[in-house]
Amino acid sequence: MFEAPLGFFVGFYEVLRSEYALHLCVLLGIYLILAQSFNLVFGVGGLFNLAHVATYAIGAYTTALLSTELNVGVFQCLLASALLSGLLALIIGAISLRLATDYFAIGSLAFSAVVSALLINWRSLTRGVLGIPGIPRPEWGGIDFNGVQNFLYFVIVVTLLCLGAMWILFRSSFARSLKAAAQSDVAAQSLGRDVARLRIWAFFISSAFAGIAGGLFAYYLNYIDPSSFSLTEMVLVLTIVVVGRPGSFWGVAAATLLLVVLLPEGLRFLPLEPSVLGPLRQFLHALLLFIVVYMNRARLFPVERMV
Amino acid sequence: MDILPQLLINALISGSIYAIASAGLSLSYGLQRILNFAQGHFMMVGAYAFYAARILHQGSLPESGVVALLVMLLLGLASLYIFVLPFSSFSPLLPFVTTLALGAMLEASVSMLFGVNVQSISRGLEFESIEFGGVFITPIQIVIIVSALSLLSLLGLLVHCTSFGRRIRALSEHRYAAASLGTSYTGTTIIVFCLGTVLSGYAGILVGLETNIQPTMGASYTIKAFAAMTLGGLGNLWGTVLGSYLLGLIENLSIGLDFGGYSLPAGYKDAFAFVIILGVLLIKPEGLFRRVGRRV
Repeated sequence: MFEAPLGFFVGFYEVLRSEYALHLCVLLGIYLILAQSFNLVFGVGGLFNLAHVATYAIGAYTTALLSTELNVGVFQCLLASALLSGLLALIIGAISLRLATDYFAIGSLAFSAVVSALLINWRSLTRGVLGIPGIPRPEWGGIDFNGVQNFLYFVIVVTLLCLGAMWILFRSSFARSLKAAAQSDVAAQSLGRDVARLRIWAFFISSAFAGIAGGLFAYYLNYIDPSSFSLTEMVLVLTIVVVGRPGSFWGVAAATLLLVVLLPEGLRFLPLEPSVLGPLRQFLHALLLFIVVYMNRARLFPVERMV
Repeated sequence: MDILPQLLINALISGSIYAIASAGLSLSYGLQRILNFAQGHFMMVGAYAFYAARILHQGSLPESGVVALLVMLLLGLASLYIFVLPFSSFSPLLPFVTTLALGAMLEASVSMLFGVNVQSISRGLEFESIEFGGVFITPIQIVIIVSALSLLSLLGLLVHCTSFGRRIRALSEHRYAAASLGTSYTGTTIIVFCLGTVLSGYAGILVGLETNIQPTMGASYTIKAFAAMTLGGLGNLWGTVLGSYLLGLIENLSIGLDFGGYSLPAGYKDAFAFVIILGVLLIKPEGLFRRVGRRV
């Protein structure tokens, strides 16, 4: 009588233990950090930063280059990724302080275009479109994270630390001030908030977390090339945050699970060629983004009411 | 060796393509204050419609051109009604997101229909390049330069010498004032938006004939069009045209310039152009050219 459900659970357990499930969990951890950090700057801060994936790319390349060329240890690598991504994001912050929405969107897009042009063309450093192969999995205190299972534990620890830090941040007065500045910067200023400083910090923090996610990505794949950091990737991150409701921590976490794990896994059951599957997934992400924006168009970015 | 004349001609060619692609976008921005992130993807779709008509269905050149431009007209109408107009009374950030989604959807659809590989639409059109005193130019490139000059002059006539152009200018200057005097905002917007779409489709066909086509070619042209608009000032039509040629000039001269025996590798020309855009945005966000009195 219990055989059928038991068989199902055993099968489920086997799937969970399989290499493939571990792969999905690692991917989920990386995207949770990436999406949640974009949620901080875009969802809470209302800053339409199209260069977020560019800072993720900077983090990935920093870790890749430091660990292959200089054999730097894992924590130094991730720290360097976070710092470099955060510092370069200060340029985006400087643009945002001077420019209103439309111009800022163009400026951040131009910044990400500069980054991807450099990744492709600065061949002596990044090896161009060939990418950087042979990034070693980290090793620390005698523990070798080479196996997928050990590496998963490592990713889980880093993800939980990052998400915990961001969860605290989302509940802090910093996030509340940032949200107030997004709704009306004049009102926030008149209540004594330094809007410029808040926004610069938001760019620094969110890009530093994106840099850590990039570092994990480089360690995990052992190989990175510029094609992983295109505008398509930016649309995916934007979709996750919009579907999960901008500014909502748990909503974005659930949307990451849906869009990074459940949707692609569901699509695998369709009898389609892999060459069609990739574009189909991209199409569905964009369609979902459009539908959610269409349904929430009155609520998504409330327009300031004129008195 | 003196390569300066050749670089100037190359600058004129790429500038012409950017000008055709971004002139309509600039007029549209003047009316709606909306950035269209699917602009480069419209060019890509135009090129693929031409590819489908000419290579897959063996149409002649003019037939394929007409088919492609009709496809662009329909695409422009559909995009405006589905992706832009429903959001016009809400936050101006929304159309950014929806046109980004539109661009991703167009790219994915074309990849699924035609495959992700590079295709050629100039098959069977073998042209000899012509030499004028050390400068090489192909007939396609002459077509690009001539179409830019003629299309831009026609656009200039339309905007400055017809009653329709007067309506565009009035609405760009003050939307509500012009609308209260009986100018149809939505009607003008539809025509201008579709004009921009058809022009960018035509630019896409020219790019395809000059090089190759690929579903992923769109995003970089979107950024180029924005760059041209930024140089000239958003919503400033003639500024955008000048900005387009300036962008072509910057890109091509950056390869040829000699910094004391060290010249910039060819691959860096995109990066160099975008760094200049960032600089212009930071120092002179209103664009390099002063708007004399009125918009457009």
